[in-house]
Amino acid sequence: MHHYSQPVQSGDVSSGNVHGIRATGVSKRFNSVDALSPVDITIARGEVVTLLGPSGCGKTTLLRMIAGLERPTSGTITIDGDSPESASRRKRFGLVPQSPALLPWRTVEANARLLQDINVGANPSSLPDVVELLDRVGLADFRDAYPHELSGGMQQRVGLVRAFALDAPYLLMDEPFAALDEITRADMRHLLATLSEPTNTGVLFVTHSLAEAVYLSDRVVVLSSRPGGVVGTVAVDLARPRVPQLEDDPAFFAIETTLRRLLYSGASAS
Amino acid sequence: MNRWRDSAALWATIGTIALLAIWEAFVRIRNVRKFVLLPPSEIASTFLETPGFYIDNIWVTARHLVIGLAIALIVSLTFGALLAAVRPLEHASQPLLVLILVTPWVAYISSIVLWLGRGTPSILFLVSFVTVPAFVYATVGGMRGADPAARELFASIDASRWEVLWRLRLPSALPSLFTAARFNVGLGLAAAYFAEGAALSTDGLGEAGRRAVAFNEGSILWTTILCTAALGILGQVAVLMLERWLLRWHASQRRTTR
Ligand SMILES: Nc1ncnc2c1ncn2[C@@H]1O[C@H](COP(=O)(O)OP(=O)(O)OP(=O)(O)O)[C@@H](O)[C@H]1O
Ligand SMILES: [Mg+2]
Repeated sequence: MHHYSQPVQSGDVSSGNVHGIRATGVSKRFNSVDALSPVDITIARGEVVTLLGPSGCGKTTLLRMIAGLERPTSGTITIDGDSPESASRRKRFGLVPQSPALLPWRTVEANARLLQDINVGANPSSLPDVVELLDRVGLADFRDAYPHELSGGMQQRVGLVRAFALDAPYLLMDEPFAALDEITRADMRHLLATLSEPTNTGVLFVTHSLAEAVYLSDRVVVLSSRPGGVVGTVAVDLARPRVPQLEDDPAFFAIETTLRRLLYSGASAS
Repeated sequence: MNRWRDSAALWATIGTIALLAIWEAFVRIRNVRKFVLLPPSEIASTFLETPGFYIDNIWVTARHLVIGLAIALIVSLTFGALLAAVRPLEHASQPLLVLILVTPWVAYISSIVLWLGRGTPSILFLVSFVTVPAFVYATVGGMRGADPAARELFASIDASRWEVLWRLRLPSALPSLFTAARFNVGLGLAAAYFAEGAALSTDGLGEAGRRAVAFNEGSILWTTILCTAALGILGQVAVLMLERWLLRWHASQRRTTR
């Protein structure tokens, strides 16, 4: 475990900056399957970085390695200079999985509190008010409901609140809206944008949706098909706060088109 | 409009009355011997002659059943949690569990009595022993079946083994544990009845039944049998009510609208 914290000194002192999530030359191989070619990626606090890539290119794998749920085959990952394992021990990640993964025996409020209730020793001194967060995502009236009484979109909103309630410096989101219909999806990205707006949180967001990528991100990293490698990185310099009208802006389309071209070139490359 | 058609209690009552009527009529018309089958009316009158005797024995057997099941549950949860965490151990324990399931108690009860002595210890041992496998399977299966995405969520903030067990795995195992409990109430009751008769105990429904057979008392035997059945139904209802309350979040407890 300890060799994870060592590369920090050699790799990052030269750049003079160990802050943020830094993945350097990270690759993954499962038995005989090359899931991910070596990639470099950084996410600073207060920055939203999106991973865009064809299905099976290793996006989930990369996210899971950053969260300390999987070991890289090669390369190093540091979180504010720390190993992923140590970062998860200190509750540095708010994870939003693809399925909401709500516990059916907990009410909405208890589910939203789940990450606060576990590994309590690592909680920050003050935690966000879950009730207030639920109110902000429009679930105030459903605090005592059980997950099976909610729609898919509402369940995913609870999943968002659960991650935000941790007040972690980094949010890792793996296609949280993939199972939702187009309209709910658009609502959800607006909601996510407002939720994360005033914070100093670094967000790694995985998606298949170009609109989602442009709307939410500061930077989009496009991966090629399996084994994924970085095809290109596109900066999204649209004004913040992001508002729904932005999606009609020509600049928005222009970035979307750039991303689509990159995505398709990466998909046909291998 | 469909209210009366959907009333489960109403139909269960009608079914019970019909069953008793057919039973009574069958025994009277065919003139069945007392020892083979007793009509419900005579069971009722036999019971009312000495209600204290039957209620005392129901109480004794109920205690054997509940304590035996509680021991089995504690053993199974501890053992099951261990097996769910260590796969080789699960494989290694299969022969033992299967052996307990398939070996007839009749075959080894005398050895148990010889080992643990007559009465309560042997009875409790048998009840727990035979109900452990179903509880263990339910624990292991339920704990393994915990939502993988939820497990990753727990791992992402380094939840301790204990937290994963208590907050995720155990609740995930509750539905299958209740299914096993319903099965085990019947199995445990049969084991308690049998062991009471065979362990040279001085009371309990099984012992009352054994004596009735020895003294050729058909009406006492059948009244004891029905008391045992009543205890079984009571046990099932108790499990069901506990399940309703503890699993109110679960799909099986959802009211479907038609
Ligand atoms: N635990 C595992 N064991 C073996 N192979 C795996 C495992 N996890 C992922 N893979 C393989 O690694 C590759 C990348 O998987 P990954 O889930 O990271 O893709 P993805 O980019 O998230 O795809 P999608 O967009 O469909 O979710 C796939 O070929 C997959 O089969
Ligand atoms: Mg994925």
